[in-house]
Amino acid sequence: MACSLYHEGECSPVLSRIRIVKYEALGRNFPSACSQCSKPRCLEACDHGAIRMNESTGAVFVEESFCTGCRSCLVACPFMGFHPVKKVAFKCDLCGGDPQCVRFCPSGAITFRSVDEFLMERRREMADKVILAAQE
Amino acid sequence: MADGWTGRRLRVDLSKNTVKVEEIEKPYREKWLGGRGFNSELLYREVGPDVEPLGPENKLIFGVGPLTGTFAPSSGRTTVTAKSPLGGGFGDSNMGGHWGPELKFAGYDQLVVEGKSNKPVYLWIDDEHVEVRDAGHLWGRTVPEADLIIKEELGSKEIHIALIGPAGENLVRYACILNDVYRAAARAGIGAVMGSKNLKAVAVRGTRPVTISRPDEFYQVCADIRERLKRDLMVQMLYDQGTWLLTMPANYEQGWFCWHNFQKGFHPDASKLSGENHRDNFLSHREGCFACPISCGRFSKIKEGKYAGEITGGPEYETLTAVGPRIGLLDMDKVVHNSKLVNELGLDSCSCGGAIAWAMECWEKGLLTREDTDGLILDWGDQTLIDRLIRMIAFREGFGNILAEGSSRAAGLMNRGEDFSISIKGHDMSQDDPRGLGFAFGIGFATGRRGGDHLQGLPCLELTGGFYPGLVEKIMGTREAENRLSPVKKPEMEKYSEDIKAIGDSLTQCSFTHNWSFAVQPEDMARLLSAATGMDISADALLRTGGRIVHLERAYWNRLLVGCLEDRCPKRFTREPMPDGPNKGVVFPEADLIPRYYDVRGWDRKTGFPLPEVLMEYGLEDIARDLEPCREKYLRKVQMENQIEVQTAEKL
Repeated sequence: MACSLYHEGECSPVLSRIRIVKYEALGRNFPSACSQCSKPRCLEACDHGAIRMNESTGAVFVEESFCTGCRSCLVACPFMGFHPVKKVAFKCDLCGGDPQCVRFCPSGAITFRSVDEFLMERRREMADKVILAAQE
Repeated sequence: MADGWTGRRLRVDLSKNTVKVEEIEKPYREKWLGGRGFNSELLYREVGPDVEPLGPENKLIFGVGPLTGTFAPSSGRTTVTAKSPLGGGFGDSNMGGHWGPELKFAGYDQLVVEGKSNKPVYLWIDDEHVEVRDAGHLWGRTVPEADLIIKEELGSKEIHIALIGPAGENLVRYACILNDVYRAAARAGIGAVMGSKNLKAVAVRGTRPVTISRPDEFYQVCADIRERLKRDLMVQMLYDQGTWLLTMPANYEQGWFCWHNFQKGFHPDASKLSGENHRDNFLSHREGCFACPISCGRFSKIKEGKYAGEITGGPEYETLTAVGPRIGLLDMDKVVHNSKLVNELGLDSCSCGGAIAWAMECWEKGLLTREDTDGLILDWGDQTLIDRLIRMIAFREGFGNILAEGSSRAAGLMNRGEDFSISIKGHDMSQDDPRGLGFAFGIGFATGRRGGDHLQGLPCLELTGGFYPGLVEKIMGTREAENRLSPVKKPEMEKYSEDIKAIGDSLTQCSFTHNWSFAVQPEDMARLLSAATGMDISADALLRTGGRIVHLERAYWNRLLVGCLEDRCPKRFTREPMPDGPNKGVVFPEADLIPRYYDVRGWDRKTGFPLPEVLMEYGLEDIARDLEPCREKYLRKVQMENQIEVQTAEKL
């Protein structure tokens, strides 16, 4: 709800740039959001120049005034959103560098880091396992 | 369309097969807030004293509030209200999960189900599209089975379903309604009301936004409160251990661990059910409700033993004690299994545990024999028996048919063991003993809107208030009120907590944010409500609204000629001193506290009815008029009762 309220001033899962896939009976939940690809399919799919990349940060965002609502980007990538009233595509824009979903995530399930930080963390996790196994 | 609220009530009549959308006007919204407030008002107005709880005239009301479905922390709750088949009077129950917000996104503040279908059906609400669908193939199915079938049938997994299990279908008087498979609105037997209407489920999908009057301000208020909740010790503990965190202090420090139907408040081996043990050995993962930063919900997995491999949502403290120590069990795998069983069959764990505990105590005292129980031997803690008995209750088989009536009615039917039915106004106690939990809690038990239950006021100021330096002194004027077993200021504390609870249930916001943790104060609730709806309300005005809701619910009972005579805790709490543990010797001083509570509330000591001038102050003139004839009748009832007491005393 942080996402839709922050971006649209309304509370609605439909307007949220991050959605949760839920399995109620198992109590399992998967957050799904844009992973800010370097060669974004959504950008490639857009013939109208509405999806753009910030050259310095690499963040991919929708320039609403250029969007025609053709929905090609939705076909290209499942993490896009479509505004049912404005009839334009929307997507995660990283909130200008301070993602609100990360800010308010109570459990630490969503994090925001540079690619290198992320990879080093994965490597360390792997190393931890090896060291632990060796100790045992 | 209004901000915060949707301003719309959906009314479905299953007898006539009609669907109607009504507008909920602004003055009404501001007077009753939403959720519990809306529901209680509608129940009072439309479900009169002569309505049979399991008859078609009773109404099943689902309500959400102006904050439901918003970014406000822990705002995903729903209140379900109906005349209770268990207590025979006011009944409501509150559930978390994601169903309530979905109803809001579909565009409704309230869903009223009326009448009775002539065959099993379920309701499908897809924004404006409302359809009554056949549920013949779902009848008899457990909760997870039915949830899965409906999702497949409707061709979407992105829907939320509130439904009953076999217990609700079989009109077990304490059947519950569950949503998202494991979040229960359990108490007061509202699942039986749903079953009596032949309604198996309500499936909802909503795609519309909740609009906010002042979005930037609202965002900021939510952000502030979320920061505070994150730093809050009580919240951190709830995340870590869930409500299981209560076991250790309840038993070893405070002595209100419900052992063998409240016969004791302490057991030396209670640590087997500790929060640490659950977290380290049984916790599968944590599961939060909608927009909740606390995530007290658990999923448990049994790793070893007979039930190895079972996964289930929960259990919470009340469930684990109800199907655990209350009936003599301390093994966590058995407790988790029983919890799974009552959920899937759609039973309220508290009342189910209460009924079984009643039977077991009667057996122990020799009041029940094998002839009464169809040959069953009702020894405490016999897991094979308990497993079987829970199923017998849900399907009303054999002796289970008697226990399905609830402990109070069962005692009446068998004409014995009345004192072992630990219930108030026919509604079984949750596993909370006022001889240890606290005296403000005790007042809530005796006078509560649905009978024996800790959620009338949830006055945790006396339980966890001490963790917040200066808080209790600031609100109650003295630190003495922090002492659970001191009578000082307890009626005032109960009143204050009840009013806040009523607001929270109406907005809706989880009690854990304002009545257990105190990170959210009435001022914060007023700020949230004002920014969301644009109505600009002060904390004081909000508290008065909470009081108004409490009075309306009280009037519901009074109209049924229930008052001070029925505001009584079980004798076990008031006459039997706690036999052991940290509170050895304590009894609940009901005779002192209840009249003082009436004074604080502005209720008449002679009848327990709210005084007319007090009702006027709350803007309840109509209700004051309704109650006048009832007051006179009830006064005569009290006088007769007193005469009988005097005569009995003379005979002795």
